[in-house]
Amino acid sequence: MGLSGFEVSIERPTNGGGLATEDMTLSMGPQHPSTHGVLRFVVRADGEVMKEAIPDIGYLHRSIEKIAEKVGWHGFIPYTDRVDYVAAMFCNHAWGMAAEKLGGIEVPKRGEYCRVIADEFCRIMSHLISVGSMAMDIGAFTPFNHAIREREYINDLMEELCGARLTFHYMRIGGVGWDLPPGWSEKAVAFLDRFEPLIDEFDDLISFNKIFTERLVNVAVITPEEAIDYNLVGPNLRGSGVKYDVRKDEPYSIYRDVEFDVPVGRGELGTLGDCFDRYIVRMREMRESCRIIRQCLKQIPDGPVIAKVPRNFKPPAGDTYVRVESARGDQGWYVVSDGTAFPYRCRIRTGSFTAISMIQKVSRNLMLADLIAVIASFDLVAPEIDR
Amino acid sequence: MGLGGYLRNLKEAVATIADGLAVTASHLVRKPYTVEYPDRLEGDVRIQDTLPFRYRGILEVDLEICTGCLACERACPIDCIVIDAAKDKAAGGLVMTRFDIDMGKCMYCGLCSEPCPTGAIHHTPEFEGADYSLESLVRRFVKAPAIAYKPKKAGETDPEILPVLERGMRYVGEFASPDAPEKE
Amino acid sequence: MQEFVDGLIASGGVPAGVPAWVAYLGAMLVFGGVVVFGFVLPIAGVTTWVERRIMARIHSRIGPNRTGPAGFLQWLADGIKNMLKEDIIPTASDAPLFKMAPYVVMVGFVGAFVAIPFAGPLIISDMNVGIVYVTSVTALVVVGILMAGWASNNKWSLLGGIRSAAQIVSYEIPAGLSIFPIVMLTGSLSMQTIIGHQGWAPWDWHVFDNPFATVAFLVFYVSALAEGNRTPFDLPEADSELVAGFATEYSGMRNLLFFMAEWGNLYVIGAIVTTLFLGGWQIPWALADAPVLRTVLQFTTFFLKAYFVGVLVAIWIRWTLPRVRVDQMMTMCWKYLVPIAFVNLIGTAVWMVVFPHGVPLVHYVLAGAAGILTLGFLRRVRYHIKRAKLTRKHLSFNPLSTARVPL
Repeated sequence: MGLSGFEVSIERPTNGGGLATEDMTLSMGPQHPSTHGVLRFVVRADGEVMKEAIPDIGYLHRSIEKIAEKVGWHGFIPYTDRVDYVAAMFCNHAWGMAAEKLGGIEVPKRGEYCRVIADEFCRIMSHLISVGSMAMDIGAFTPFNHAIREREYINDLMEELCGARLTFHYMRIGGVGWDLPPGWSEKAVAFLDRFEPLIDEFDDLISFNKIFTERLVNVAVITPEEAIDYNLVGPNLRGSGVKYDVRKDEPYSIYRDVEFDVPVGRGELGTLGDCFDRYIVRMREMRESCRIIRQCLKQIPDGPVIAKVPRNFKPPAGDTYVRVESARGDQGWYVVSDGTAFPYRCRIRTGSFTAISMIQKVSRNLMLADLIAVIASFDLVAPEIDR
Repeated sequence: MGLGGYLRNLKEAVATIADGLAVTASHLVRKPYTVEYPDRLEGDVRIQDTLPFRYRGILEVDLEICTGCLACERACPIDCIVIDAAKDKAAGGLVMTRFDIDMGKCMYCGLCSEPCPTGAIHHTPEFEGADYSLESLVRRFVKAPAIAYKPKKAGETDPEILPVLERGMRYVGEFASPDAPEKE
Repeated sequence: MQEFVDGLIASGGVPAGVPAWVAYLGAMLVFGGVVVFGFVLPIAGVTTWVERRIMARIHSRIGPNRTGPAGFLQWLADGIKNMLKEDIIPTASDAPLFKMAPYVVMVGFVGAFVAIPFAGPLIISDMNVGIVYVTSVTALVVVGILMAGWASNNKWSLLGGIRSAAQIVSYEIPAGLSIFPIVMLTGSLSMQTIIGHQGWAPWDWHVFDNPFATVAFLVFYVSALAEGNRTPFDLPEADSELVAGFATEYSGMRNLLFFMAEWGNLYVIGAIVTTLFLGGWQIPWALADAPVLRTVLQFTTFFLKAYFVGVLVAIWIRWTLPRVRVDQMMTMCWKYLVPIAFVNLIGTAVWMVVFPHGVPLVHYVLAGAAGILTLGFLRRVRYHIKRAKLTRKHLSFNPLSTARVPL
């Protein structure tokens, strides 16, 4: 079955002279309808109850970090889209911020506002997929379709803004690539007016449904200390009760100028830090993103959206570490420049990579169905894990 | 779990399930949202014609206004644009013998269309590019060796080139520029 | 049907030297064939189309609308496609069991139609143990699913098969326990007698006879959904966990047989529920005297009731609710449904002792309460439409409409 490197020792307990049982080793293989992307879990199970689920990653590795060293500062931005294609704007933003820090470039105010508007729309898009797939993994196929329907509306807005629906390549070093087209603000506000009641409808349909909550409550409880120890970030960390958000604690861009709350799990329907908390934090974050977008669209000043950056961009030698609050948490980019037009090294630290390392610990004595719920609640996306 | 908890479980189950059923029932009477591609929309409108001007579809090169500066070839991170241009005194300028874009490699990022001075290379709203062989994905734009375009300082006067140039400049003008005038 | 054959023999329609049992056998094969090929299989097929269209509207999509008028021939296209597919039998699987499993499931499903009362005189065999026969035969699918899960030589299929065995066997108990109040009320197990004991009006149905019968209806419906492997109890074929559960290794026609059995089973569930609780084929007696017209009306009534309750409501529930986990499924059965079913049983028995002739007032009250609850539900639906800020131009009451929401 291809267990190279995963030689698990099969236990054969004899239950004190009774029937000898054997653990079953399953491969929740790379092709599976539920794992979010191409992931593989080697599951050692005793019937339905798992002893352990060991993740096996690398099926989606595309050497993006190495490609950065070949294509140069400007050419790498489309590749950052592919680091996490579900929420691509954040990666664009992070690379732009890193290059600007190294090169000492200041982004005009309108450019920063455009960036934040795009970021928050992308957060809504990513959370829609996350809660939709979570519902689908638990068995309800309808909320997924509703979430994708709403995501299509945002896709249309993004298409008008930058020309693409998934791999945006919207941001540039020094600002953004295109200004808001005429009439876009009105369309965005019309969408938000339409969307906010639909979040409530989503809640009514699935979030507090008894069967759904029974599947998620008290499953895979992660205490705040454990969450910090295992380096969880984003909604996973906040679902465990730790109030840490890069937008509030180390604000970048114009997040100081907008008002928003950071939802934190409260253990309202079970224990603090269970799957339900992580799920409900994402639902609430969508509402906060709507607030941020409305404020940005009102406050946005006039002016250029991009600073003057030479086509042959050569930042001085040095390194920088940049963090953005992506949909999946604190994404860290460590970029080293050696003074040439090509970056020397780029290292991306993503939230999903550390979250998947926790699966092995969290999955002990869970049932197989719970493993699916846990993977969905961590909002793992394979491109982010493997890059 | 005492009797109170038991009955509360039952009540919550019934209430939340009934609410979910009501939401689903309300969807049954809503119109669907599907756009039945590849059928045309009302008025025989193709989907491609409803896409925004900035849409990054299949690349197209207007050779009449291409200046042969090779900025797009340099900008492409995947090296899918191959241009052969050589100075030819006899023909009086830069002569282009090859302008190939391998759409099989292209990732539709738009890095090529940004530095183009005239907007000769631009994305179109076309997205239907499926074909039966990899070779057919390579778009060859030079049918016969052509002289590169030289932008006229006093503005273009040729009536055949002018609309193409205007469209190209409009495409390039959509990109953000650091010296953009103050907008409303 | 037995009277029909007897009449045929008496009037000389059957050749002289043929013994009666041969005539019965022949009639059984003919009628059974007509029912199976003319009714059951098309119903199972058309239900897939109905399900896909309803599911699509719930998802704000259109569903199949290209093959045939409004996509009606989609199920034929799917059937032909499945028949033409390569029949893959894994080399390491237990081939005889693997091949036999879909047929066992089909037998379990088709066998129930022998006792389904389509109309007053239209029933293949009105056995005096009718309802018990139906529940027993539908339990045969457990054997088939276990065979499929084991013979596939695939750990995921095995898990699916075992889950299904646990589920179906467990949910037989509350289903059976919920039948007994009705049997007590009627005093007979025969399907036609149970229907005959009810009237055509809603307040004459068994479901509104006494509060315990109403709860028994709900318990039976939930148990029947679980028996039919429908969401929220579709663990054996949980898409996102086990690929396709016990049917993972099946391709082509064998796969189709499994799922045809599942969709057709919905109709069986509807038929049983209608027979036991919702008045069967009863129509107002004054409506028609001509026997053919009366039979047609009865057939239509029964079909509509069974289809709406068994198929449409089940589809609606499937596309609303998520899936329960295995241990939650067992908890729900043994800790909730079984005690409630026992309470119903004893309650109905006590009710029958206290009110030997029933209480018409209670019938009217319960039927009225059901009506009021339905109206309240519709108000809640209206609330959801209003909250989503939808106006007339966003709504369409035509189930086959493909007009999309204005952009």
